[in-house]
Amino acid sequence: MKVLKTYIIPRLIQYLLVIFIGITITFIIPRLTPIDPVQSAINRLTSYGGAYMEPEAVASLQNTLKELYGLEGGIVEQYFAFWKHLFTFDFGPSLSMFPTPVTEIIANSLPWSFFLLFFSLIISWIIGNILGGLAGYFKEKKWSNVLAVVAMSIYPIPYYVMALILVILFVYIFPIFPMMGGYSVGLQPTFSWSFLLDVLRHSILPAISLILVGIGWWFLSMRSLTSNIVAEDFVTYAEFAGLPKNKLLFGYVMRNGMLPQITNLALQIGGIFNGAIITEVAFSYPGVGSLLQKSITNGDFNLMMGISVLSIIAIATASLIIDLIYPLFDPRIRYR
Amino acid sequence: MKKKAWLVTFVVLLVGMAFSQVLPNIPRSETLIVDILHGRVGNPGNFNLWIPGSLAGHGPQQVLMDALWYVDPQTGEWINALAAQEPIYNDDFTQITIKLRQGLYWSDGVPFTADDVVFTVKNIASHPGMNSSAQIQMYVKDIYKTDDYTVVIELNSPNPKAHNIFTSLVYGALFIQPKHIWEKVDNPLAFTFNPPVSLGPYVLDSYDPQGYWFLFKKREDWQRTSVGQLYGEPKPNYVLFIYYGTDDKKVAAQARHELDMIFDLTPEAFEVLRARNEYSVVWYEDFPWAWMDDVNSRGMFLNNARYPLDNKDVRWALTLAINIEDVVISGYAGIERVTALQSCPTQYFTEIYYEPLEPWLENFTLDDGYKPYDTNVAYRIAEWAEESYNIEVEDPEAVWGIGWWKYDPQEAEKLLLDNGFSKDRNGRWLLPDGTPWKISIIAPADFEIDATRLAFAVADQWRKFGVQVNVETLEAGPLWTRQALGDYDVGSFWGGMLASSGIPDIWTFINGFKSDFYTPLGTAVTTPNNYRWKVPDKVDQIIDDMGASYFADPKVVELTKEFYKVAVEEMPVIPMVINKKFNANDNYYWTNYPNANNPYMANVSWWAEFKFMLPRLEPTGRK
Repeated sequence: MKVLKTYIIPRLIQYLLVIFIGITITFIIPRLTPIDPVQSAINRLTSYGGAYMEPEAVASLQNTLKELYGLEGGIVEQYFAFWKHLFTFDFGPSLSMFPTPVTEIIANSLPWSFFLLFFSLIISWIIGNILGGLAGYFKEKKWSNVLAVVAMSIYPIPYYVMALILVILFVYIFPIFPMMGGYSVGLQPTFSWSFLLDVLRHSILPAISLILVGIGWWFLSMRSLTSNIVAEDFVTYAEFAGLPKNKLLFGYVMRNGMLPQITNLALQIGGIFNGAIITEVAFSYPGVGSLLQKSITNGDFNLMMGISVLSIIAIATASLIIDLIYPLFDPRIRYR
Repeated sequence: MKKKAWLVTFVVLLVGMAFSQVLPNIPRSETLIVDILHGRVGNPGNFNLWIPGSLAGHGPQQVLMDALWYVDPQTGEWINALAAQEPIYNDDFTQITIKLRQGLYWSDGVPFTADDVVFTVKNIASHPGMNSSAQIQMYVKDIYKTDDYTVVIELNSPNPKAHNIFTSLVYGALFIQPKHIWEKVDNPLAFTFNPPVSLGPYVLDSYDPQGYWFLFKKREDWQRTSVGQLYGEPKPNYVLFIYYGTDDKKVAAQARHELDMIFDLTPEAFEVLRARNEYSVVWYEDFPWAWMDDVNSRGMFLNNARYPLDNKDVRWALTLAINIEDVVISGYAGIERVTALQSCPTQYFTEIYYEPLEPWLENFTLDDGYKPYDTNVAYRIAEWAEESYNIEVEDPEAVWGIGWWKYDPQEAEKLLLDNGFSKDRNGRWLLPDGTPWKISIIAPADFEIDATRLAFAVADQWRKFGVQVNVETLEAGPLWTRQALGDYDVGSFWGGMLASSGIPDIWTFINGFKSDFYTPLGTAVTTPNNYRWKVPDKVDQIIDDMGASYFADPKVVELTKEFYKVAVEEMPVIPMVINKKFNANDNYYWTNYPNANNPYMANVSWWAEFKFMLPRLEPTGRK
């Protein structure tokens, strides 16, 4: 009961507050930008010479679009209407892809972002932490230094450069991987092995790019953490006590090193809901990242809000879950 | 060991080639692969082209939908598509009779008749959110059929332009809906029209739910379409619209013959492509390669409501401070056609307006008697091109335009000094009140790259002249908003009176400049007059007279010339260059695309008239 009062409830309140403030800010910021979605839509119609409209017709369209887009009324009115809809996860229609509902557009793209980013993250997290942990524990070994040099060389490479190198190498020079898309032209999504293999083939290169850069970061941070932990008194004491090396490495050193890495992992999983704009652009891979970017440049408030709200909720939820299950990993919390 | 390494590399490449081909299940030699205009389509399952914000340039308007009439802006050819002949107006332009083409069928076997046209107009008019609804409500009093192939529209007021709404002057038009499908739809704004029933020569085969590709298959009954009746069988059995991504990917795809038609590349990207694919051609076989007949010019839009740009002399001073030759050569590597008129120097408009008006341009004088026109611009650029590229240019004016305004900083200085401007000791211009003259140019940030380049090139020219100029690049959202509100000094824009089409009538482009529609700064415009040009009474009269004339009336040409003369005198916007494109076509699998040697139509894969190119393409026979 005490745990509920002193630990769980305050965190739940904090969680709700973070979501409320985050969403409110996300609602306000686009409306402070010098973008009028109605004007953007009309310009898309008229600027490219495609549609001629009399001035009276444009004026009428302006009013109609305001109504259809839900942009009528003052900002406060819009704000309350927004919260009302939010409880049913209704973000309204996309303004740039009217009238397709924002939820439908996100639902269509999110699985691709999630699939690619989640597995890339988990793979890079596992490999990076294991290698980093070993390299930190055995830091006097030659292979440890070699790994550190490799990781330090990869990690600072800007991601877009890494992506470009992979595309040039494995799409242009050695055309092993496909040039674009989530699966081959002409295929229709089905739950068949051939389709899944095709999807996998299309995601290998973007995944490699994310994993390579990801491993560099996880490796370096874990190596640095374990290097410090190795020098702690409790490790020295355990060593003197004659504990087996395996137990020492995994039970004492790496387990302690994992704590901040778990927090980071949770936050990054939350960030998946933002997509990965550069990955999507470089590999022409489907996902929510390019949608978010397009929504910002086109003044598509609803889509922008939809993706941002999901992201805020995901990150806040991930932090909450970590806070709540942290005592499982770190017994010290349980004793407080 | 070496042998093994080679073997492994060979196997990897072989497997890779098989692995990476774009069309694993479709015969490549029967497929035309076209770049998607808008990039990835966010809502690919929506084929409802009649709602605001709908995208159409990924195939639906090019191969599925059809309109009553088309005009080709390259040649001025009028095409009766769903209609059998031009619109027939009564004497006072209050009624249009439309005769429809017979023997056309929707892809599901239902005949196309007057019922479809009547239904489309009524359906759109009764749903205010749909595209063109406001216009139809303004125009149409009643619509009915007199027989299965004749439609009569009663207009609310005399309107000889009413048929424009059904005509693809450029890009698209009001497409006709299949009545038998749409009449069952409760909410047309929410209807996705998927699968789309086609009136064009292809049907939708499949599409990527992620919006990267759309595959269309030729109809077995292609003879029962307007394209089939007019031009014969479309040659490709499949048309694949695809978005590969950034320019470098499109270049790689065309270099591998996996993309036949590219929407547009940067000159640099085309340079790379040319080196890698000898079959890639845009328009000219040699320099300047590009297609320079797109129907819009770019210009420096001077905010006529902002001091000191509200002064005609200041606007002319800025014009004469630009060395257009320098702009074209340094800013565009010599690949641009100049325009002295506030119009668009396409092949067609050059014939009907630029050439006839050249004597007037040569004799035109400013208020102080100065003759600003320069007839030799194209020849000087051609001389530079001949030296730089070792080519021979037969007709420089056909490539670079008939002429532009003189680069004459002395005359520009005189105009400013006469208006109270002065210079500080560093040679920078001061306004009459002694404060520095600063100009900010707004331009697109990461789209319409030629407009961005123009902004920087002109900024350089004006800086040389002593004006403090800053270029502000903006994303589409803020750019359009600031343009509409008039929140800029100078904009590197396009459109409005700088547009053209395949008919001589420019009323649709200039009607918004009438004094009645003048909008003060800070209020969003509903017209192309975002630069707030306060037109002289004469322009109001021209617009009214033109508005009352049928497009083919010879009077329209004369009125248009008069309009251009006033625009030159007033210089509300400095017309600069045409909207060129590096829309490269790969002649490896398909050939006979429109080009400089055979300009049978505009070289466009993104406009609705693209459908008429498909029967004229020829397969090369390569497998």
